[in-house]
Amino acid sequence: MIYDMYGNTQEVTPYERMMGSLNGEKTDRVPVNYYPRWAALEYAGVTFKQAWDNPDLYVKAQIQAQERFQYDCIIDYDMMGPVEEAMGAKLKYPENDVPQIAEPLIKTKEDMEKVKWKLDPRKDGNMPKVLYVVRRLKEELIKRGRGTQHVPIMTWGSCPSRTAACLTGFKEWFLIVARDPDWAVELMERALDGWLQMVVAAWEAGVDCVWVNDPVSSRDCISRDHYEKLTQPYERKFIEAIRRETGMNITMHPCGNWHDRMDLVYQNQADSYFLGPMDVEMCTQKAVETNEKGLSRVTSLNGNVGAATKSTTDGQTAVPYATTMKRGKPEDIEKEAKAVIDAVEGADLRCILGTNCWDVKGSSFANRDAMVYAARKYGQYK
Amino acid sequence: MSIIEKIRKNVYDGDENNTVELVKNALDEGKTPKEILDEGLVAGLRDCGSGFEKGEKFIPEMLLSSESMKVAMVVLRPLLLEGSGIGGTGRAVLATVEGDVHDIGLELVGTMLETAGFEVRNMGPDVPTEDIVEAVKEDKPQIVGLSALLSNTMDVMPDVIEALADAGLRDSVKVMVGGAPVKQDFADEIGADGWAYDAASAVPKAKELRAQLSD
Repeated sequence: MIYDMYGNTQEVTPYERMMGSLNGEKTDRVPVNYYPRWAALEYAGVTFKQAWDNPDLYVKAQIQAQERFQYDCIIDYDMMGPVEEAMGAKLKYPENDVPQIAEPLIKTKEDMEKVKWKLDPRKDGNMPKVLYVVRRLKEELIKRGRGTQHVPIMTWGSCPSRTAACLTGFKEWFLIVARDPDWAVELMERALDGWLQMVVAAWEAGVDCVWVNDPVSSRDCISRDHYEKLTQPYERKFIEAIRRETGMNITMHPCGNWHDRMDLVYQNQADSYFLGPMDVEMCTQKAVETNEKGLSRVTSLNGNVGAATKSTTDGQTAVPYATTMKRGKPEDIEKEAKAVIDAVEGADLRCILGTNCWDVKGSSFANRDAMVYAARKYGQYK
Repeated sequence: MSIIEKIRKNVYDGDENNTVELVKNALDEGKTPKEILDEGLVAGLRDCGSGFEKGEKFIPEMLLSSESMKVAMVVLRPLLLEGSGIGGTGRAVLATVEGDVHDIGLELVGTMLETAGFEVRNMGPDVPTEDIVEAVKEDKPQIVGLSALLSNTMDVMPDVIEALADAGLRDSVKVMVGGAPVKQDFADEIGADGWAYDAASAVPKAKELRAQLSD
């Protein structure tokens, strides 16, 4: 008599699946990563502020939510704030949202001297709290995996343009871009190191991969010319520095509508791109083109349920406000997930299913389940 | 090129250093403040908005155009408000919703409403929902104007409408929404009372909604 006692055991762990895709490899199926800060907090029934004040609560929420929803990557606090705060910025902590800048730190060039540019993530501000969460996540994952870490941990890194904008205030940042590009460059040059040190410290504490993001250089914000000449060089510099210092796989999240500049974005040399609301077919095609020209090293695209609609494909119109995760039904998620998998895997890039960065908060558990279900149903590798 | 056309182009180009002088020249030439505002400054800003929609202008350029208008308004505003009977038309609370730092359109709507006789409380950008509710409690306006430039902050608008309802204030105000990504269908979907394409069309819409409320 044969006992099929391991028949339901997953042979590939989320760790192997996610890291495989980031490296361009096929494992058993397409992984799911929707940057699950809110999925975890909502499942645990706690606000962001509660979890910020109690890091062990955040760890517990992350672990339990991954076990419940079965996605393939978990994250640390995953937010702007700790570095900017350690630099001297005053933050406000809403009850159930990530921190925001309460007041710009830099109003004049003279204010540059007030900023603490050189940071020690093990000592300064709330950066040690983030590192504590990483260490605790690692401990818990290894313990629950009986000595093997089954789920990867991702951390966050703000691109220098974002950090500069946080220090000056967003409106002032855009005025600096228009009036004084040299100052913009100086701000980014000095802002780069803080988040680099944070990412390196998080890697030393145990994270497995990083996503870096820029919400201030999209087509919604600045011209392609300003992007190419001002902010993109610092995105690339930041990404290359992270790779040099840690060797980690890097995902870049160009937040917003970047349709007119994806060819430049891909040249930042990240491994993977989290597409947010952008058109998956167009982004896939651009990635293939820049890879073929030897200008990029894109292995995978992370997205794009909630945006795989024709209304976003002209590259001109603003992205639609209606987002499938929050407003759709499980069958909508399945349908869009299939379209995303077909588009990305059809171009022989690895697909990592996800959605818009703001779209998970408030989404139904059924829709979150539907995305993982869709990955299992439509994302199996032969 | 006429002086009004020069002002219009100056605002479009975001040349903030020359606007005041051009406006003074226009006044010296006998142009009325309203003519300068509507056909020069607002038209220039509207051109800039069209450029934004076409992908020819971006936030830095929009801000420069806005700054050009702002410096000109220092000269023009007192002249516009003479005899406007501020408050006679009604009261309005305006805000860009939380998480969104854009206030160009909001400022323009505020100015236009003031010139139309509304008493305006412009709360500026990135205003928490609870602060908007508090302002409505304090000021008892007939119009609440909400602005968002980003597609991901539009979703805060229904939260504000819900918060007004929760506070028992929804029936006493008319809520208008606007901003680049906001359209009529979105306004309908979230239960707003009105939508306006731009600052100029916001004024008749605000007056129309105001008329629907009894004092």
